[in-house]
Amino acid sequence: MCKECGCDSHVVAPTPGPRRIDVVQNLLSENDHQALHNQEHFDAHGVIAINLMSSPGSGKTSLLEATIEALAGELRIAVIEGDLETENDALRIRRHGVPAVQITTGMACHLDAGMVHDALHHLDLDDIDLLFIENVGNLVCPAGFALGQHADVVLLSATEGDDKPAKYPVIFRQASRVLITKADLLPYLGDFDPARAAAAVHRLAADMPIDVLSAKSGAGMDGWLGWLRTFRRQLQPLRRSVSHK
Amino acid sequence: MHEASIVSGLMRVLLDHAAQHGVDHICRVTVKVGRLRAVEPRALIGCFEAFAEETIAEGAELVVVSVPIVGRCDDCGGEFEITGFLFRCTQCQSSEITLISGQELYLDSFET
Repeated sequence: MCKECGCDSHVVAPTPGPRRIDVVQNLLSENDHQALHNQEHFDAHGVIAINLMSSPGSGKTSLLEATIEALAGELRIAVIEGDLETENDALRIRRHGVPAVQITTGMACHLDAGMVHDALHHLDLDDIDLLFIENVGNLVCPAGFALGQHADVVLLSATEGDDKPAKYPVIFRQASRVLITKADLLPYLGDFDPARAAAAVHRLAADMPIDVLSAKSGAGMDGWLGWLRTFRRQLQPLRRSVSHK
Repeated sequence: MHEASIVSGLMRVLLDHAAQHGVDHICRVTVKVGRLRAVEPRALIGCFEAFAEETIAEGAELVVVSVPIVGRCDDCGGEFEITGFLFRCTQCQSSEITLISGQELYLDSFET
């Protein structure tokens, strides 16, 4: 019945009062979509992409330099470097005859899938077997942003505390592999116990593979290099099925 | 401050849905954030206030609902909240766990 005049013929439009609209949509859906697109690029070109994450100064670039030298002539490597400022890391990588694209994020504390996509325009993916994406040094922010990588590798250097995995659980839990780096310094430090660090990682993920290595001396590098070779071989069937589409 | 990137995503999703529903003012926004997302609610709210300025969400309240990490044991089938980031079954100590919640990061709803 019409509230105005009491008749039955007037149709009254409902007053647009407060209402609740249910959505349920991922806040990072745009980044996730771009990351998926990046991975399709990688798979179509047979590129294995590895996201390296750690605190600043834990030896990501040194590890890459040693890895490039060790795999020279065996695998074709390229590197995307993420830093807030400077081209220093890309310059270090290029000295080894490997293509490197530097992303300077300015104020951004992590790489996102869009930045990586832009960097891919500067690389010829047909000439690459392994692409390392060296994320911005940070143990919090990079964890949340997919880039299209096939694996996350998290570094923990012996000069940091062996309780770091307990302090930054999210990123260590997410890793495919954890590397304890700068192992050549262990005898001089005394207070970093690789077993304690491993126990802290295994509270988060019981089966997490961990390598203790030194890029400087080469000790322990075999485990890491072996995993890279195996991981790439395991992804080969995927690579063929995609590239033949 | 990855919260800024997250809020930038939130604004895109929010304003998109508001336009679809012909909404011209938003007074409350509810997001669900799993504890495995390492997102700081206060930073999220601060960023939201800044990003919402001069939009139809200006002045809206952002409600951040924290979702606990809950796992189901693959061995004994028990369900339990994971506290202190110890990923073990609280009943049988197995580390074979399937996560049921804790990774959420989504816009749940908004109110006009």
